Amino acid sequence: MKHLILILFTALFTFPVYSQFGPGFVEQCAINSGKDATYLKDFQVILNAAQPEQIQPIARYPLVLSKNNIYRFSVCTPEDSPGKAILQLYDSNKLIFSSYNKDTGEEYNPFNFLCQKTGIYHVFISFMDGKEGHAVGILSYVTR
Amino acid sequence: MLRPGIILLTTALFLISCQTQKGKKSASEFEVPDSVLLAETTTISEEAIDEIVQNVSSPVEMAALIKELGVPFSTKYLATTNYVDKYNTSYKMAYSLGVFGADLGYLNIYDKSTQVVDYLTAINKLADGIKVGQFFDFETLQRLSTSRENIDSLMFISVNSFNNMDAYLRENSRGHLSALMIAGTWIEGLYLVTQVASEKSNPELAERIGEQKVNLDNILLILNNYKQREQVTELIDLLNELKNEFDNVEITYEIGEPKTVEQNGMIMIVQNEKSVVNITDDQLNKIIIKTKQIRNKLISA
Repeated sequence: MKHLILILFTALFTFPVYSQFGPGFVEQCAINSGKDATYLKDFQVILNAAQPEQIQPIARYPLVLSKNNIYRFSVCTPEDSPGKAILQLYDSNKLIFSSYNKDTGEEYNPFNFLCQKTGIYHVFISFMDGKEGHAVGILSYVTR
Repeated sequence: MLRPGIILLTTALFLISCQTQKGKKSASEFEVPDSVLLAETTTISEEAIDEIVQNVSSPVEMAALIKELGVPFSTKYLATTNYVDKYNTSYKMAYSLGVFGADLGYLNIYDKSTQVVDYLTAINKLADGIKVGQFFDFETLQRLSTSRENIDSLMFISVNSFNNMDAYLRENSRGHLSALMIAGTWIEGLYLVTQVASEKSNPELAERIGEQKVNLDNILLILNNYKQREQVTELIDLLNELKNEFDNVEITYEIGEPKTVEQNGMIMIVQNEKSVVNITDDQLNKIIIKTKQIRNKLISA
């Protein structure tokens, strides 16, 4: 009987963990990408803080982009996230663009990408200064 | 002493489980004839499958391209929803779910709210049939479809529902149904763009069709993982016929460095590395014909 209670209790109180972002947060982030943007997919990220002398944690997502399309990349960090998210777009191992320039401190969020080569790309999401955090990246199609 | 606590917890759990179904019938009320809960015996790791799935482009992009080319909306490109009740195996349901998902994307891009409801109803029925109805908020989508003002939310919830259904199937040892859904979406998107190309000669359309060679390879990779299932094998055989038509399409690459420009106050990165698709009229026509044959065969009742 005690086991049953434990199972029921665990199931009940772990259920909300599946909802990492507030209601409508992802949708709002997608809609904020702009009237000229159509939502394609999102990248929901939760990362721990970087440990001393360890590589900064980064979430990586593959995606296929098509020639002649303009894509918009945006990233939304909830207020309760300790770290602010950075979104980077890679073609193979080559960085195409980053939403944050570490040297100047400037942010470019959202940014557009005019794709001329159909193929597989990668989105990397990390948090400034290796802090822990949670954020949502959005990929949208931009109407010309 | 413990009894009231147990009742409270049981009641709370029951309410939560009802909430996740969004007021729908219990999944157990729907018959799924084939053994959908058989353990998957995959040859590629789930992580690799997940990566390949992400590498299939969205049908929304196809529909958007067609609209941008000034092609008027037509219901003749859409799969009929009349046979939904006859799709009575999980194989048919998952595949058709993908087909109607692609059609829903086309309808949404053209903002055709009248026809959207038929497709939402069909998708809702099929999603319940393979027990992923909890990810398809039919009532909200139906309400949103009544006004042009809600098109952003309608697009978001539609696409997001399919992303969630797909992820859920793969996480719950029903990857073969996810694979079928993805294949259905892709074939319907290809059918749409090839039908437009058969009526309107356009180099951009031809190029977009030619580059589907890459997507087809990815879809075959996913499906091959479940080839021990007879119905998946049948689909693989059909897609291999299509692959034969794509085999002679050549894709080459030109090197170049990206440049950054500012447009309407927003940074845009313009890629100068290019892919070039070489596809002849003959190759294109063969792909158009084969796609139509396969698509029509697969959506028949």
